[in-house]
Amino acid sequence: MNVQADAPLVSRPVPKLAAGALALGVHLLFVLLLVFGVSWQTQHPAPVMVDVWESLPAPPPPVAEKTPRPPPRPVKREPAPAPVVKEPAPPKAPDIALEKKKAEAERLKKQQAIQQAEEKARAEAARAAREKQVAEQKKRELLRQLEDEEAIQRMADEEAANRTRLAKQAEARAAASKRQAEVASVVGQYRDLISATVRGNTRLPDNLVGNPEVRCLVKLLPTGEVQNVRVTKPSGNAAYDEAVVRAIEKSSPLPLPTDRDARAAFVPELSFVHRPK
Amino acid sequence: MNPELSQDLSLFHLILNASVPVQLVMLLLLGASLLSWWFIFIKLFALKRALRVTDSFEREFWGGGDINVMYKRVAAERAEAGEMERIFAAGFSEFIKLRQQAGLSLNVIIDGTRRAMRATYQRELDGLEAHLSFLATVGSVSPYVGLFGTVWGIMIAFMGLSSVAQATLAQVAPGIAEALIATAMGLFAAIPAVVGYNRFTHDIDRLANRMESFMEEFSNILQRQVTSKAD
Repeated sequence: MNVQADAPLVSRPVPKLAAGALALGVHLLFVLLLVFGVSWQTQHPAPVMVDVWESLPAPPPPVAEKTPRPPPRPVKREPAPAPVVKEPAPPKAPDIALEKKKAEAERLKKQQAIQQAEEKARAEAARAAREKQVAEQKKRELLRQLEDEEAIQRMADEEAANRTRLAKQAEARAAASKRQAEVASVVGQYRDLISATVRGNTRLPDNLVGNPEVRCLVKLLPTGEVQNVRVTKPSGNAAYDEAVVRAIEKSSPLPLPTDRDARAAFVPELSFVHRPK
Repeated sequence: MNPELSQDLSLFHLILNASVPVQLVMLLLLGASLLSWWFIFIKLFALKRALRVTDSFEREFWGGGDINVMYKRVAAERAEAGEMERIFAAGFSEFIKLRQQAGLSLNVIIDGTRRAMRATYQRELDGLEAHLSFLATVGSVSPYVGLFGTVWGIMIAFMGLSSVAQATLAQVAPGIAEALIATAMGLFAAIPAVVGYNRFTHDIDRLANRMESFMEEFSNILQRQVTSKAD
């Protein structure tokens, strides 16, 4: 008797592992597609901050002159020419007697000697004077030079101090403008938020035409509570102005930034511009 | 930057920030999706193989092969045999057994053979249709499960909205986005399951038709053999 044919079925091997791997692969593919194919990030355009300068910013500190001013060249003063004393030639002795001649010669000799001595002394004196003068001048020049150097040093110091001061000022200005930009961005965000809130609460009147602008002055408490709304520039449509005022009152308390500087733009008074669209 | 104003809507961030019921729904749907894809691939392989084996068997059978030789081969490789081969083997073995008992009428022999073949056919069909009901369930239920997660998530988002005085869209948007992921996952699980279910039921129907026709034709052949021998 053949019982084999009636035996229960032997299940055929099915590639279950391969099927599982394929299933996982399909899911992985789908997740990858989602993660990389769809941009999930919403990016708010950062408010652009523009600085309006009344005057041009100071130019960058000038580069220090590398070569200091050359010290004034000491004037080489030519020593005054020594006065040349030309002794007039001794008068020719007249032809007299020999003795007389002799005496005369002797006298002449003596005179000459005296003259020579005198001359010598005078020259000596002149030289001494000249030397003294030159030395004095040198001393003066040296002094002047020293003074010049000191002045140059002082000037360089001043320049350096100036430079650091300018750099510090520029730094402070940059920090201030950065902070200002931050504050402006926060202010812009909250302005948008407030606008969106008010817009959501505004019931536009039926007879509204176009996109008229209403300018309001909103008095705010530090908590954001609306105290008082005043229309400073009406749109021309009274019903619409009224609707905007009501919407602002309804939006109370308005969202306010926590940043103190940014709050200053909202508290205690917020100038608010509203457009229906 | 203000954290409430810039919304980080990355996928994983949204899933991790979802409330617990929504996360549970997502987990359930992920499991359903994984299982249904697993079954889809298993069925795909199994049906492909069944079609291939059936084709080759039909070619052999109608190609005028010796029925006895075929029966011996099929009986020897039972585990590897295809659905139609097993029906053939069951019917033929029953036929042989009934023929060996003397005094049975032709009708009894053929009826017995057909019953044996039908039993095997039912069993084979059952094997082919296994897991199909799971695909059908996933296909029809997972959108609702996803919807449930979404509704729950949106409910929670709006409840959170009621507690703040300043109601803006930015406060509900992340909650709604994360809730909608549940619907997306439900649809992601359901669509392949429905497609797979439809395709597999169609394939199995065609295979079943072929098997039934084969059963009828084979009983005819056997009947002819008995009557020709009796003559």
